[in-house]
Amino acid sequence: MTQQLLNAIFIGSIYALFAVGYTLVFGVLDVLNLAHSAVFMLGAVITYSLVAIHGLPFIVAAVVAVFICGLLGLLIEFVALRPLRRRNAPPISALISTIGLALIFVAIVEQATPGTLFSWLWQDGANSVRFPSGAVPDPTYHIAGVTLEGTKLGILVTSILLMLVLGYVIRYTQVGRALRAVAENRRAATLLGIDVDRIFASTLFVSSALGGLAGLLFGLALSDISPYIGRDQVELKGLAVIVLGGMGSIPGAVVGGYLLGLIEVVAFVRFGSNVEAGVAFAALFLMLVVRPQGLFGARLKERL
Amino acid sequence: MDFFILLFTDPVRFYNSHELLIAQIGVNAILAISLFVTFYSGQLTLANAGFMAVGAYTTVIMSLYLPLPLPVDILTGTLLAGAVGFLVGLPVLRLRGIFLAIATIGFVEALRLGVILNVPITGEGQGLKNPGADPLGGIVPILVSLPIIAYLVWRLTRAKLGHAWAAIREDELAASSNGINVALYKMLAFVIGALLAGYAGALETHINFFVDPTEYSVTRAIQILTFAVAGGTTNVLGPIVGALFLTSLPEIIRQASAYRDVVNGVILILVIIFRPQGIVAGGGFAIHRPHWWPVNWRLGGRTASTG
Amino acid sequence: MKNRLQGITVAVALVLAACGSASTGGTTSSSSSYQGKTINLGAILSLTGAGGVYGPSSKKGMDLAVETINNSGGVNGAKLALDTEDDASDKAQSAQVAQRLIQQGQLLALLGPTLSNSAVAVHPLAESFKIPILAVSTTGIHIVPDCNYPKTDPCKYVFRDSLGEESAIPANIKIYSEKAHPKTGVLLVANDDKFSSDGGKIVQATVAQYGIQLLDTVQFSKTTADFAPPVTRAVQKNPDVIFITSLGGIPAKIMIEARKQGFTGQFLGGNGFNTAVVSKQAGAAGKGAQSGSGWYINNTFPSNASFVKAYRDKYGSDPDQFAAQGYAGILILADSAKRANLTFSDTAGDRTRLRDAMEKVNIDTPLGRFQFTSTHDVKQTIWVIQMDGAGGFNLVISVSPS
Repeated sequence: MTQQLLNAIFIGSIYALFAVGYTLVFGVLDVLNLAHSAVFMLGAVITYSLVAIHGLPFIVAAVVAVFICGLLGLLIEFVALRPLRRRNAPPISALISTIGLALIFVAIVEQATPGTLFSWLWQDGANSVRFPSGAVPDPTYHIAGVTLEGTKLGILVTSILLMLVLGYVIRYTQVGRALRAVAENRRAATLLGIDVDRIFASTLFVSSALGGLAGLLFGLALSDISPYIGRDQVELKGLAVIVLGGMGSIPGAVVGGYLLGLIEVVAFVRFGSNVEAGVAFAALFLMLVVRPQGLFGARLKERL
Repeated sequence: MDFFILLFTDPVRFYNSHELLIAQIGVNAILAISLFVTFYSGQLTLANAGFMAVGAYTTVIMSLYLPLPLPVDILTGTLLAGAVGFLVGLPVLRLRGIFLAIATIGFVEALRLGVILNVPITGEGQGLKNPGADPLGGIVPILVSLPIIAYLVWRLTRAKLGHAWAAIREDELAASSNGINVALYKMLAFVIGALLAGYAGALETHINFFVDPTEYSVTRAIQILTFAVAGGTTNVLGPIVGALFLTSLPEIIRQASAYRDVVNGVILILVIIFRPQGIVAGGGFAIHRPHWWPVNWRLGGRTASTG
Repeated sequence: MKNRLQGITVAVALVLAACGSASTGGTTSSSSSYQGKTINLGAILSLTGAGGVYGPSSKKGMDLAVETINNSGGVNGAKLALDTEDDASDKAQSAQVAQRLIQQGQLLALLGPTLSNSAVAVHPLAESFKIPILAVSTTGIHIVPDCNYPKTDPCKYVFRDSLGEESAIPANIKIYSEKAHPKTGVLLVANDDKFSSDGGKIVQATVAQYGIQLLDTVQFSKTTADFAPPVTRAVQKNPDVIFITSLGGIPAKIMIEARKQGFTGQFLGGNGFNTAVVSKQAGAAGKGAQSGSGWYINNTFPSNASFVKAYRDKYGSDPDQFAAQGYAGILILADSAKRANLTFSDTAGDRTRLRDAMEKVNIDTPLGRFQFTSTHDVKQTIWVIQMDGAGGFNLVISVSPS
């Protein structure tokens, strides 16, 4: 059972990291960025590409990949979001355009095989790969009857560190204050001289960088990198997490992530098989019915 | 390209070789209309995938185990979907906007993962075979139902019900202070949407030889959402056009290249940026003058309202 | 006078010659009536998606066969044309692609689909359109002859050349038991994939007769992200064997995770193991993982060596079981086409003639001497293989058909 608890903590970290990016954009910008899961996937793919195809050492590759994912966030802002804001489009359009972008990202990777246009990025098409063994140190420790994998420990530490840093930035720096102002009331923030466009851009940059990081850590620890990792496995769970924790709340995303990990593992141990995921979504449904703002959410947004 | 050539030069052969596609367009159109109905009343729900599943599974299970005629199975499936719609609608009535959407996502996945995958009669993970399927004949009820449904929904939107829905969509508070029973009308929209989705699900099983839980996932619901929104949500024709366009798009460009999904995504983005109100809706193309574009050069179409 | 006689003789000779070549249905003239014609085949394969680890192999094998046959005179002078489409490992798309191929082209036969899950939709469709379909990688149950299961009437147009799990899994378990006498096992199975759960059922039905007690059956979804919870559950029971009946990227992930958690026992699996992609993915963790396969690269059947050489020359890599079964599939169809007296004008009739000819096929293929059973299934040598930890396989033993 301890082992299963450790499993829960680990997967919870991944969910939390992913959800923080998600909730940042939703809380500040009121946009549900459905391209986030594609960036998650690209984080893993780009890191793999840099390590396996271009021969960079893992840490360097990881840093570069995270940065590139941040840039992808900017791409999302400029291609999918800003044009809609300029045209006063209804908020639901942002949903659709991010869906379109996600489709494009996944399709590009899916089609990339040796000899095609994108073979510098990825060569395995629709297949699933893992980091070349030896590229990353992967020690496994057996202590007191439980298995601790080095990579998973690293992920836990990284996630917590990042979330602390982010929390600090949001609360104590000027950028953070501007973010909170925009989140509170966009029009008032504009009146106060805050450049909303820049806030959008920087929020999306940070959020996507986090998403990419979550992705590469996922690929590393679970030995699974493919065009579909965002779509199949984390996209909806990320949604469940931010609902459970409260949309727009970063500590909520963190707690929600671990909570979901825990719910899943407990349900699996108790009931086995697929009930675990069903339970997670039932929990989501219940939370929305009983307490729509989630555990930590403060505001109830009304717009579509 | 051969797609269009065939369509115009030999419509009969086109029909024969693309029946499954046409039937799928029909089903998707009905599904998009079911989303349209709830959207019209201001509710964004993704639950139709779940109601589809109820309709589909009920029909197939009944046709496997009970010696009743097919129309009875379909009717039961539809009604059961409506009943489930009522049950799901009750608790989520007071949720708005994105929260409602997410709650419905929760419902769909909980249904799929928690219920369908664990109840033996549904064939669990592998779904059920539908040996009574009729890929050639099954298209007929679809082609017949679609115009009828479209007409009925159109009438509804023009009737008092439709006006109440529009009022609720615009401003729920104002509507209720004007004496409109908001809860009742919202529930009506929800249940009608559920009935339509259940019906579509039942019809779909009769052109396929199977029902499978992966058909009824949130991905499917989001796909239907794109049909409705890209097509336009101001009138019934929108979802139909959206379904037609986006379902046949992968087929049309299949010939073109392996990058059809990329093209799919690009077209989706272009449609939503330049016509955010949807394909079938008033207003021109939303052209926006970038700040670096010289002022006296005209951009095509009318510019969108300033904001 | 002489001219007129010559003229009449020539005319009569011409008429006789014309009659001779126009008589179709005659066995001796069938080879000339194939000249210049095209035999159209279609393949529905999973080139992307979960099955994307298997589909491309099948395609390479098929393409090689088509090329080889066409370059050596074709089928009595007729060329083979193969149109391959991707079904993205999605059941619904598979059905749509199949229907389009059937109704649009002048196809005489189909091959595929890759996954047993998709076959549930595609095979009944082919049957209802009366077009022969040859499965080249589906190994689940109720593929042949009861493609309309739970209806029991046999499907007359569905065939397969891929060794079924009902034969391969028990043979694999038997060989391992005889060597190592395991006492306990745990089954890990994906319950939302037909191939996987079919394999699971077969394992459950077989273990008892070899004295293996199944301590637990751990079910999971094929879309699971983190296999740590199911693997933990399996490993904590401390079994001698872990049975893995999944496909795609799942077997490798399970094996890697299990080794990390300290499992040192044996992995036994099904057809999902039998491709180089999976062996490479599993790497060192998969070393020794054993399964029953329909083919082994160094088998000594007559046509195998030339197949392997041609494959290496064309693609620069070794073929695997899926490539061999795809190659054999084309050989089977080509041979059947040769004997079927095709008219090339009556597509519906030709399909049935092809089907009849397929039932009597008896040729050398890289899989060995190939014949269909009375239920259009395969009866052949079973190669029990183990992953070698470096992306390839080693042979344990071959089991002759009983």
